[in-house]
Amino acid sequence: MKRHLIGVIAAGLTVTLGLAGCSKGSSSGGGGDSKTIRFVAAIYDDKTKSLWDSLIKTFEAQNKGYKVNLEMVDWTQMDAKVKTYVQTKQTPDILNYNAFADFARDGLLFPTSDVLSSQSSGDILPSFVDGDKYKGTQYGMPLLSSVRLFFYNKDVFKKAGIDAPPKTWDDVKADAQKIKDKDKGIFPLGLPLGAEESQAEFFMWAMNNGGGYVDPSGNWAIDSQANVDTVNYLKDLTKSGLTQPNPETTDRKDVFNEFAQGKVGMLNGAVFMPAGFINKVNAKLPYGIAPLPTKTGAAPSTLGVQDFLVAFKNDGGKKKDAVSKFLNFFYQTNNVANFQKEEGFLPVTKSAGAVISSAVPYDKPFVDALPSAKFYPTGNAAWGPLANTVKEKIGTAITAKDPKSVLSELQQTAQKNG
Amino acid sequence: MHNTIEARGAGAKAPAPSSKSALRRFGRALAPLPWIGPAVILIVAVVLWPVFEMVRTSILRISSSGATIGTRGTGNYRDLFDETDLVAVLLRTVVWVVGVVLVTVVISLALGQLLNARFPGRRVVRWAVIVPWAASVLMTALTWKWMLNYYYGVVNKVLQGVGLIDHPVNWLSNPTQALIWMMWVAVFVSLPFTSFVILAGLQTIPEDVYEAARVDGAGRARTYFQITLPLLRPSLLVAAIINVINVFNSFPIIYAMTGGGPGSKTDTSTTFMYKLAFTGSGDVGESAAMAVVNFALILILVLLYLRAVGWRGETKS
Repeated sequence: MKRHLIGVIAAGLTVTLGLAGCSKGSSSGGGGDSKTIRFVAAIYDDKTKSLWDSLIKTFEAQNKGYKVNLEMVDWTQMDAKVKTYVQTKQTPDILNYNAFADFARDGLLFPTSDVLSSQSSGDILPSFVDGDKYKGTQYGMPLLSSVRLFFYNKDVFKKAGIDAPPKTWDDVKADAQKIKDKDKGIFPLGLPLGAEESQAEFFMWAMNNGGGYVDPSGNWAIDSQANVDTVNYLKDLTKSGLTQPNPETTDRKDVFNEFAQGKVGMLNGAVFMPAGFINKVNAKLPYGIAPLPTKTGAAPSTLGVQDFLVAFKNDGGKKKDAVSKFLNFFYQTNNVANFQKEEGFLPVTKSAGAVISSAVPYDKPFVDALPSAKFYPTGNAAWGPLANTVKEKIGTAITAKDPKSVLSELQQTAQKNG
Repeated sequence: MHNTIEARGAGAKAPAPSSKSALRRFGRALAPLPWIGPAVILIVAVVLWPVFEMVRTSILRISSSGATIGTRGTGNYRDLFDETDLVAVLLRTVVWVVGVVLVTVVISLALGQLLNARFPGRRVVRWAVIVPWAASVLMTALTWKWMLNYYYGVVNKVLQGVGLIDHPVNWLSNPTQALIWMMWVAVFVSLPFTSFVILAGLQTIPEDVYEAARVDGAGRARTYFQITLPLLRPSLLVAAIINVINVFNSFPIIYAMTGGGPGSKTDTSTTFMYKLAFTGSGDVGESAAMAVVNFALILILVLLYLRAVGWRGETKS
């Protein structure tokens, strides 16, 4: 009797497993209907889902018979999810992500010209378009952008007797020392080199020392002398106790939170800091915004970041029409402008820029910094894998005996991937 | 199972049987299939097929986007063995497994004894010991992560309160301290299962053996080491093997508490395998190669252990 039961259970399980296996195998992409598309979007904050929901509702009302299935994914899960989608041939029709070149290299994407009207693509700000191309063809469509600037706490500065934000790296160190001497409860400089966004933090310091990921001719230059000097400078700040403890494991959101609570003197902040962090905790925090400090006091650069929408060529491209309809709908001036304004990011199209810059005065210094902004080498197929490796490893450079060895390892990763 | 094979063997040896009786014999040989078939299918589907897929993936060339480009032979293995962190990760895995299992078993021996003793409120204590088992491991790990938080964590507050440390410590940032804390969490979540296996073992030891020992004048320590412990052997064997496998494969604790970082300084081979595929430069093929190595390691580990404790003797008796 008992054995029979086990047999029945085993048979039942087998059938269920078999069916589950089949159903997974047969659906590639997002279902059979050519008018139904699957859209995987990243969660930027609590509002993101409702913004997309209402856009999709309007789209479906205007285009009878078309349907958009929305899936929201948290940024911390995104890399693993995307890789799994591609591996198991379950790519969404439209994806919101921060890299695209390796998909383009592997022939998985529609070129932008196939899915976006020339009117819409002509509206994209020219400073972004270079980063949207792989080998001369545009595949990425910018969804939103952010620019980083230096944030400082005016109260903390006043208490320490500092009257202007630092312009050079020596200023940063001297000011940090002053803050440390005056107030033991404050971390003078927030330096997040943990796995969340360290590729950005490192790049901002490196670019203001004439370094960065690539040299002027576009070749990988991660182990350049300028970068080694940058890491040594950050290492020195850490050792002198001028940062929060253990920058190598501190995530960006941690120091942004600490800054919002008034516990950090200064840091490399981002345009979305008030909307995402400060206003939630203390809207009256007296902060100032300044250009990033540079090694010598030369003209500062800053980091510009764009996130993309990309369209995957699923099922032999039979959903091109539906994908194209939705993208052209999204890039209408008001839709794209409203999305970026609500999320606290910067505009990526000329027409949305005109709408937003008149509506949000806070954005002005960031929009002004855009022309001097440097972007990640997103058009290089090695960038995606490299960025992920940098996130993991760059923090260990400031604890390593020899920072150069970490940078050389990263250089090899970049070269190996293209 | 045994009988079936013998029957089939005998059938094959029979000299030139008539086609009719051969058919009948064949039919008889197939007769058990409806009973064992589902189990066989199940084993093939959930054990053998994934192993095959794992090995197959480990020789594929898979691009960083996740697309399969072709085969690669041993290239993924070469990449894996070239990883600068690999040796440290493997050594750490050994420390992790041996340390966690050893401490778990020692504490569980005491806990099992306690739970077996008669005292008022025993039932409540037994429930309390089960709680960490009932809670999700990920939840437990996250709770400990917050308790160990540098800025707000309760551990720093308490230790400062009792004067053990004079300023907060960033526990999870120092690889050595982080590893010790995570091993503690792993012990914490392994205790319930282990102590209950030992409790079950204790309850199978007949009272008369102890009585005889008392009559012979054996002291408490002697009774424990010469009677209780040897009779607990089967339970200890089960507890240790299952723990070795669980702890070796343990992912959520390390992933939630440090993510294996900084760099891969707190990774074990299990989290390292995940990170090879999904973070870093993201090579699914190389990660599959690591999975094959892990699979081989755990097999070897279990076989060595079984051999060391004289597994054959144990099952025969």
